[in-house]
This record gives sequence, structure tokens and C-alpha cells, in this order.
Amino acid sequence: MQLAVNIVVLSAIYALIACGYVLIYRVSRVLNLAHGELMMLGAYLLLATAASFAGNPVAAIAAAVVLSLAVGILVYVFLMRKMTGEMVLAAVLTTVALGTLLRGLMVLIWSAQQQYPGQALGFDNPAIALPGGGRISTFAAILVVTTALVYTGLFVFLRFGRWGVRMRAAGQNPLLAAQRGINLHAVYALAWGLSTLTGSMAGMLIALDSGLTSSMTVIGLKAFPAALVGGLDSLVGALVGALIIGAAEVLSIQYVDPLLSDVVPFLVLIAMLIVRPWGLFGTREELDRV
Amino acid sequence: MRSLIVAAAALTAGAFNPALAQDAYVVGITAALTGPPASTYAPAVDALRIYIDRVNATGGINGKKVNLIIQDDSAEPSKAAANAKKLLTQDNVVLLLDASLSSTYAPVVAEAKGAGVPLVFASSVCPKDVYPPANEGQFCTTAFASTYDSRAALAFVKESAKEPVKIGFAAMAIPLSRGEMEFAAKQAPELGMTALAIEVIPPPTADYTPFATKLKDAGANWVFSWAPWVTQVRTFEALRRLDWKGDYIAWSHLEAEGELKRIKDSHLYVVGANALFEDKLPIQKEIADAAQKAGGKYPPEQMTEGWIAGMVIEAALKGAGWPATPAKIQASMQNLKVDLKGLRGGPIEWTKDNHFRTKQYYRVYKWDGSKVALVKNWYPYDVK
Repeated sequence: MQLAVNIVVLSAIYALIACGYVLIYRVSRVLNLAHGELMMLGAYLLLATAASFAGNPVAAIAAAVVLSLAVGILVYVFLMRKMTGEMVLAAVLTTVALGTLLRGLMVLIWSAQQQYPGQALGFDNPAIALPGGGRISTFAAILVVTTALVYTGLFVFLRFGRWGVRMRAAGQNPLLAAQRGINLHAVYALAWGLSTLTGSMAGMLIALDSGLTSSMTVIGLKAFPAALVGGLDSLVGALVGALIIGAAEVLSIQYVDPLLSDVVPFLVLIAMLIVRPWGLFGTREELDRV
Repeated sequence: MRSLIVAAAALTAGAFNPALAQDAYVVGITAALTGPPASTYAPAVDALRIYIDRVNATGGINGKKVNLIIQDDSAEPSKAAANAKKLLTQDNVVLLLDASLSSTYAPVVAEAKGAGVPLVFASSVCPKDVYPPANEGQFCTTAFASTYDSRAALAFVKESAKEPVKIGFAAMAIPLSRGEMEFAAKQAPELGMTALAIEVIPPPTADYTPFATKLKDAGANWVFSWAPWVTQVRTFEALRRLDWKGDYIAWSHLEAEGELKRIKDSHLYVVGANALFEDKLPIQKEIADAAQKAGGKYPPEQMTEGWIAGMVIEAALKGAGWPATPAKIQASMQNLKVDLKGLRGGPIEWTKDNHFRTKQYYRVYKWDGSKVALVKNWYPYDVK
């Protein structure tokens, strides 16, 4: 039972992070390699709002969520928008530069030491006993539920929402979408906002569960294989990819060698790239363009 | 915002102009101020900076100021090598320090050796070259010492265990931590303990529970971890979330004191070579006051390592006189004894053959229900 719980929790972490990669790629064909840093920024924003709204954790969390959304939109408006019309590679390299800048700034502002937003908010993180003998921490359980809600929300939004349909249209054919009167910049800004928001939520929940260090960005990078295995332009793919990567990692820890857990996601990724380079649910034409 | 910009410029371009250093002792340091392991090194470097500023404010050493040039290497060997080259060839430092991951040592040692400048490892783990018979140009002030630390931890476990010990080990997936846990796993049976698996945990890991699950399932009633703090504490907390009831002993890194207070678990022990601030020593008050005055970014209890490095550098430069050359400083360090005023169990004593210390002392602390309490007082090991 514990094994299953461990797989679900790790997969949920990767899935929540991976959907951010997918949202931006699906809409604008840009690989956001600063996603790990934006995720960590969300966690640090929670730390900052926890100090500003001392004694009011709900307000602190709400403020951090809103700020995360705003950060994503601002990144597009002030940085990525300038990349419109440039080669995709230029945009990707811009995200690399953004990531480096954010990493340095976060250490300067919040220092390199381990921080505990949960403690700052006055939260405990007791373990919950599950039927069958498994146990899960409160924030890990919240993370699993949040991941389920985020994916459900995104499916509904993209399928039925006015702006969701516009996002899909912009992703499928930006020229045609623009000719039909869709404001592409608004759509891209929304995609960046939502991507940063979901990544930040992952960062916040990981930090609430086990603390926050400046190495969190690497976790963001470890979720990248999940998005690639599932298919970079597919949310279902991100979910399935996260489950595959999470299961492979936990099972390798349990039955093979804990050291392999660091390598296994990339082994799975290489295998997938050989067999089906566009991922399980990805679109073949889209990857050919990259 | 202005101070942020200044700090950013200092991090990327080096904090001081070498032209200003002509009438001062120029000391350079390459340090992991950013990057994954920065939490272990950055507080120590901040403490060293505060210490040197304080020395300069009171007239310097032998009437000369100390110009400390700090370079960030992000724990990357290539950056550390570039920093060392710049410090040695452009800034003409007379003493070089390394406060970064062990993977930065080889290039930095090569640069220092080529320039004939002594190298001190401060807050980063002491390499084999500083133990007897020591390499003539390498020295170390850091508290932790491979193999000695495991012996001290296991001796404590043996002494305090009330039932047969089945001990598991948690390492970070870096060579030094793995090697130390492998050493401990070999030592444990000789002390009558059953050694269980070594969990080697990659840095960083999104969820430590799968590793903790294995330790718990193996039936461990003790777990020993000698790794960067993040691995030690997150493995422990994951074990507790799994309702594991055993005892856990970890190395007392800079963060240990604050973490014992946060976690409040009386079965979490930390073994280390530095006195914790709960001792309320006069020198600890001095450190706290200096940190507060300087607006230090880190809690005072994380500053001991850097402070000790500062005390040792001050003594070494004092012994070298003025004008100082790398050779004179090296000679001074090969015959050095620094009273650490209770921050450790004994002095740092360097001889021609021993650039670590002649005796290594350990203490064990834990949370006793209301405060951080001493469990076992200083116990020494001869360094041979």
C-alpha cells in the first residue's frame, strides 16, 4: 500500500509541474526552461506573503497564488512578447537566461538557507493513516487533490471555456486564429500566467510539505521527462507521463537501486524518444516542426 | 534595491578592486554562494566576511587591512577553476580559500599549487591531503572529518542503545557522503550492530518517502546519516511521517541547532565538532552581536564555521608578519595553534605534517522536550 501511495504522490508532483510545460508549448511552441525557477519563485512568494499576512494563512496563500499568476503574465508581457516572430530557439534561450537571473535574485533576496513556509503560516503537517496501512502527509494529500483539480479544471477550461478554445485555436494555427480576431498576445500571456500558476502551486505545496531550498529548481527539471514522455502538447500525456516516470522512479528505489531513481526518468525518456519521439499522446507533426 | 544591485555586481564580478589591495593582505575565496548546496556554504562565507570586516575596523592585522575577495562558483568545478585563476593571477592573493563542494577541489588545488599559494578549505569538507602526512600547501578548518565522524556517531549509538541495534544509513548521492556511509556500514558490525541497507538519495529529491519506506521496511531501529543537511533532515521527517519510532543520528551541520528547535523530536540526535549556541558562550554572544551589527543574512548559530575560519586566518596572517608572501603565510600555518574559546572541544593546531588538527572532539545534542540539550560532552579522537 505504501508503495502505491509513494507512486501516486511523486506522480502528482511531476504532473502538476509538467502541465506548465505543456500549457506554454501547446499554445506557443516555446519550451520554458525557466519553469523550475518560476515554480521556486512561487514557493518564495508564499514565504514572503506569509510574513506580510502574519496570522492570516488564507490571505497569504491567496496573495501568493495571485502574485504567481501575475508573474507569469508579466514574464510574457515584458520578456517573451519581444520574442514574437523570432526563432523558437531564441525564445527558448531567453527562458534559460530568465532562469539564471531568477536563481541569482532569489538567493540574494531570500538567502540560500532552508526555509519553512508551513511553519511561517502556522501549519502542521501530520501524517494521515490510510486503509491498507499506507500513510501520507497532509500536504502530500493536498498536493494529490490539487493536481486532480487542476487537471480537471484545465480540461474543462480548454474544452468549454471561451479563452480555452482561443488558446487551442492559437496553438493549432496562430495565423488563422489571429485572422479570426483572437488576440494572440492575450492568449499567450494567459498561457504563461496559468503555467506559472500551476508550477507555483507545485512549488508551494512541496515547500509546505518538506521545506524550501534553492535546489528546488532541479525538481522542476526532473518533471520535464514526464511532459516529453506523454507528449509535449498533450495534457493527458503529461498526466500519463508523470505516472510512468513516478512509478519507474519509486519502483527502482524499492526493488533495484535507489541511485537509479535519478537516472530512470531519463532512461524512460530516451526509450520513448527512440520508439515514439513525439511522446505517447503528442502530435507527430508538431514535434517535426521543433 | 540599490544594495541588491551592488550585491549582484559583487557576486558576478568580484567585490573589490585589486588596485585597492596593494597595502593590504589580499585573501581570495571561491565559494558556493549560489547553487544547490549553497545553504551549507553561504552562511559560513557571510560569517567570514563579517569577521574580516571586524578585524579591519579594529586596525587590521600587523597594522594592515585584509582585503577579502569573494567569488561565487555555484558549486561548479569549472567556475571554481576560473575563480581560482582570476584570484591568483589578477588579484595576486597571498592566501586562497575554498568553501564549496568537493568536486571543485581538484581544479582549485591545481591552480593554487601552480601559483605556490597556500589553500585553506573552510566550511567545506577536509580532503585527505590535510591529514598526516599533509600536503605542504593544503589546510582545513572545517569541523567535519570523514571516518572520524562515523566512528564518533557509532560509538554514541553503541553507548546509548538499550536494545540490539539494527542500523540503516542515509547518504546523498555524492561520492563523499556515500563513501562515509559505506565506511560506517563496515564499522557497525565490529561494534556489535546489524548494518542494514545504505539508502543513497539523489540531490534534490521531490519526495523522500520512498527512501524512508525502504529504511523502515528493513527494520531499522537506528538510522545514521552523514550528508548535506537537507538529505539528513528530510529523510528523518519522511521516516516520522511513516510512523517510524526509531532513533536517528545525523551530522550537526550549520542548520542543526535551528532545526532541532523546529522539529522538537527527542529521538533526533546531532553529532558534531562545533558547540551549539545553546551553550551561551561569551564568544557566541560576540558572534551574535557582530552578526546583528553587520546585518548578517543568516542566524548567528550558522556562523561558527566561518568565524573559526576567520580566527585561523587572522592568526596565520599575524604569524606571517608584513609584508606577507605566500611562502611566509604557509610557514606560519605549518606551526599554528588557535584557541577557539570553546567553539570546539580543543584548539586548531597545525604542524608540518598535520594540517587538520591533532585531536578531533565531538559532542552530541538533542531536543530534550524544552530546549536543545547536551547529551554527550566532548569526547576526543587522536588524528594520526
